[in-house]
Amino acid sequence: MNIKYISAALLIIIISLSACNLEKQIEIVLPAYESQPVVECYLEPGKAFRLLLSKSNSYFDPIPSDDLLPYLEALLISNADVRIRYGSEEVILNNQVTVDFETGKFYNYSASAIVPENFSDGFELEIILPDGKLITANTKLLPVVPIDSISIEKNANNKARCLVYIKDSPDEENYYRRMLHNGSFLDSFPQQDFITDDKLIENNIFVFGTGYNYDPGDTLYNTIFHIDKEYSDFLTSIQGAISSNGNPFAQPGVIITNLKGNANAIGIFTGLSYDRVMSVIP
Amino acid sequence: MSKLYSLLFLLACLGSTFTVTAQNRISISGIVRDASNGETLIGASVGIVETGAGTITNEYGFFTINTERKSDSITVEVSYIGFLPTTRRISAEKDIKLDLTLGNNDQLLEEVVITGNTVREAVQSTQMSVENISMLEAKVLPAFFGEVDIIKTLQLKPGISSGSEGSSGLFVRGGSNDQNLIVLDEALVYNANHLFGLFSVFNSDAIKDVKIYKGGFPAQYSGRLSSVLDVRLKEGNNQKFSGSGGIGLISSRLTLEGPIQKNKSSFIVSGRRTYIDLITNQINKANEDNPDFNKIPGYNFYDLNTKVNFKLGEKDVLYLSGYFGRDVFGFNSDLFNFDFNWGNTTGTARWNHIYNSRWFSNTTVTFSDYQYNISNSITGFKFSVGSNIKDINLKHDIYFSPNPNHEVKAGISGTHHRFVVGRLKAGSDDGLVSFSAGQDLTAVEYGAYISDDWQITPALKAHVGMRLSGFSSDGANYLSPEPRLALRYLLTEKLAIKASYARMSQFVHLVSNSAISLPTDVWYPSTKNVKPQTSDQVALGWSWELGKDFVFTNEYYYKWLGNQIDFKDHAQLFANNNLEGEFTFGNGFAYGTELSIEKNFGRLTGWIGYTLALIKRGNFADIMGGRFFSPRHDRRHDVSVVAMYEVNRWLTVTATWVYGSGDLTWLPGGRGLFQDIPGGTSTPVFPIYGDRNTFRVPDYHRMDVGIVIKFFPKWGENDLTISVYNVYDRRNAYFLYLEPQYSQDFGEDGPPPGAVPNGIAAKQVSLFPILPSFTWNFKF
Repeated sequence: MNIKYISAALLIIIISLSACNLEKQIEIVLPAYESQPVVECYLEPGKAFRLLLSKSNSYFDPIPSDDLLPYLEALLISNADVRIRYGSEEVILNNQVTVDFETGKFYNYSASAIVPENFSDGFELEIILPDGKLITANTKLLPVVPIDSISIEKNANNKARCLVYIKDSPDEENYYRRMLHNGSFLDSFPQQDFITDDKLIENNIFVFGTGYNYDPGDTLYNTIFHIDKEYSDFLTSIQGAISSNGNPFAQPGVIITNLKGNANAIGIFTGLSYDRVMSVIP
Repeated sequence: MSKLYSLLFLLACLGSTFTVTAQNRISISGIVRDASNGETLIGASVGIVETGAGTITNEYGFFTINTERKSDSITVEVSYIGFLPTTRRISAEKDIKLDLTLGNNDQLLEEVVITGNTVREAVQSTQMSVENISMLEAKVLPAFFGEVDIIKTLQLKPGISSGSEGSSGLFVRGGSNDQNLIVLDEALVYNANHLFGLFSVFNSDAIKDVKIYKGGFPAQYSGRLSSVLDVRLKEGNNQKFSGSGGIGLISSRLTLEGPIQKNKSSFIVSGRRTYIDLITNQINKANEDNPDFNKIPGYNFYDLNTKVNFKLGEKDVLYLSGYFGRDVFGFNSDLFNFDFNWGNTTGTARWNHIYNSRWFSNTTVTFSDYQYNISNSITGFKFSVGSNIKDINLKHDIYFSPNPNHEVKAGISGTHHRFVVGRLKAGSDDGLVSFSAGQDLTAVEYGAYISDDWQITPALKAHVGMRLSGFSSDGANYLSPEPRLALRYLLTEKLAIKASYARMSQFVHLVSNSAISLPTDVWYPSTKNVKPQTSDQVALGWSWELGKDFVFTNEYYYKWLGNQIDFKDHAQLFANNNLEGEFTFGNGFAYGTELSIEKNFGRLTGWIGYTLALIKRGNFADIMGGRFFSPRHDRRHDVSVVAMYEVNRWLTVTATWVYGSGDLTWLPGGRGLFQDIPGGTSTPVFPIYGDRNTFRVPDYHRMDVGIVIKFFPKWGENDLTISVYNVYDRRNAYFLYLEPQYSQDFGEDGPPPGAVPNGIAAKQVSLFPILPSFTWNFKF
């Protein structure tokens, strides 16, 4: 028996041992946690003003999967005074649940007023909670950065990849969120969803690509959001907080929010500017 | 330089004064070597029988004794554990240079050699907070995957912890993993790990001596806050050609050494390579036609140590040594061509010169390089990223013994650093799309020191030193005076109390947000915005020689940490042209006590160590509003028990048991509802992290056992070393995570969008179960 076979045998022993169950459920007690208000508010030109105001809870609080509605209702903060001001306008958002059937998102504060198109000045959010505490935030609508071109390339196996090009403005610091859905952008997880910026780009052209993963007939939805630094930081922190759970090499972090005030709220108040192009693989 | 020599000249005059006023004195100096192979012996005891004067050899094997001349001849006695003591009667008419050799102690082979220091010296030395290990000790102890690792052996000493399961990290007295000065033959090693921290870069076959200072740092050391790990390579057998090596579970080693010219010059070449990739390549090849088989990436690491030395005359020796090591990871498929390699290169050229029986000098030029490179290509696009730190250092040290009560060391050093930080290049082959990042920085680090081992009274001895360290980079200039003081007072011949104070500065910082050492960690210099880190450590302790076999040591320490660097939450440390923008600065403190009892002689040897410690950091503007928190490696209790029993000439059994309070971890306290989670998730919920590191994972404990069976064939000797890591299969926590629980199993695809969990469970992941390993070692 030569040394190669001995080594292979020993490796199999190690792999077998390593295949032992090295994961187990344990009981832990987390430190006491004080609930915080959570705000999710997007200003999308041409759509109504709406906002989701909820409260966080302890990480181990039980979730009643059989009767979810009362649980969700308990998470929502009602009877808050919610206003959005822009220019000389003030929009009062009423405490009523609405659903955006295009995106599947729901909100518990909304108004019939529509977010104006091409309004370049700032928007100001003010929320007075039932306990009198204050949440404020400011944001602006950014111009849409259009998808410049899309290139579908195929390899020898007739598998396709998709390259999406955008032109970046060299005069300012820009942040983008790139999403790619296959089939539908509503009822499927995005195959790509990440945040990036133009700090490292050299000749003002961005390309977002895929592997040779697609077959003829596949429908791809490419979306490029032009976002501000605050929204970028918020999304990065959400992503970081989620991905660090279960990753021993990652460092968790607090959620970076653009909300201010004395309510210790977390969340985001931001404009949404995006371009979306549907492509069918030929 | 001129001021330094002026000062030394004054000391020389001081010495001359003593000489003139005490004509009946004599100086004896020389080098102590192992008779069997010519290796210099570090820490050998040299004494004069008639007067009781004595010293130990320095890191170059050199000693000098200035003593009273009571007759025409004196008796020099030399001893070193594991060797037969030697006495030489010499004429005492004039100062003499006397090179000495010691033979192996074949009559006492059953005794496991523990350390180069005798029990008495450990008690009577001014140096405290130091740990020695011998390679014999490291080689017989149970080894993780059969790979003898000096850093893992050091982790068994009080005050030193690994940071995480299986890791070769060093967390010393509250310091971080980057706050250790690791030098191999005086050349700095920036990343002392292979395989993401599981193994250290040090090949035990090539190493002669290992010493780690946890405090009371001698003045010749600077540049890191928490410890100094000084590793010395063997010089090579200058008597006969010999070899050694081993075949282990994951790697094989071979060392060859021999005289170039007997007694005058020798060489040593030592290599090690893993062969996991050879096995995985075979598996990949066997599955080439299997469409469902996922190719296994290739990985290997290797080391090469070389050293030659030339005796240029009676007073001069030239040493040239080098290290080259790489980790190589590759994954090539139809889609990717991914290559990732990283490693260290070091080189040392050293010249030892003996001026006379009182003066000895060492001049060293070293080169250090650490780099990593990642490259990937996809049809039409390429990506590469890498970092590099490259140092060239020149230093000159002199050793001077003006009279019996003083041993003076002084020196100067200068280092040129070149940093390439996060050099990224990506883009399309046609040049239409292009990204780049990275910073090129240079710096100069310099220092001068002087210290004196001063025998004030027979009972009171002091080590008094002053170092001036400086650093220039990016228009920033820093100068840091670093006083060093160590005192030893002998209450009895066998009981000493000791105290020390040392200030250290660190001008080069590791940019890492991970608990373990990663190859992609980069080093960053102090600049205008990044001030040098500092530490001030005081220690108080006592050493007690119990009988002839045992030493009991107890130390208390308190360490102030200044200008500590941490990183903002969600810091972007990769491909960032403004890395400093992610830094946040604060300070900290650590204190604790360490107890150890060591048995160094007899068939049963070993030690028991206990550490009680506390670490805090705070005042970071971007972390918890400046409030203090405990870092992850704040381990309150740490126990290690190490036993080695030499049953007979053929059989040695060993065991280690370690216990530690669980490390701290940062878990989310709350969760919030958010509908637009980036990356997509089935549950619109995000975790909310509050204060850092408030949860302690379950306590850690583990026992390892080993057996060494020796054989003595005609051609040399060989042994089979069997180790069992984690013998009672304890599932220690490597990390914890929190996982939503669902009422049904969704399989590998995971829960679909909108699936609602019915609870959240905490899961503990362990890294290693019971792991047996075998290594066959040989020597001829």
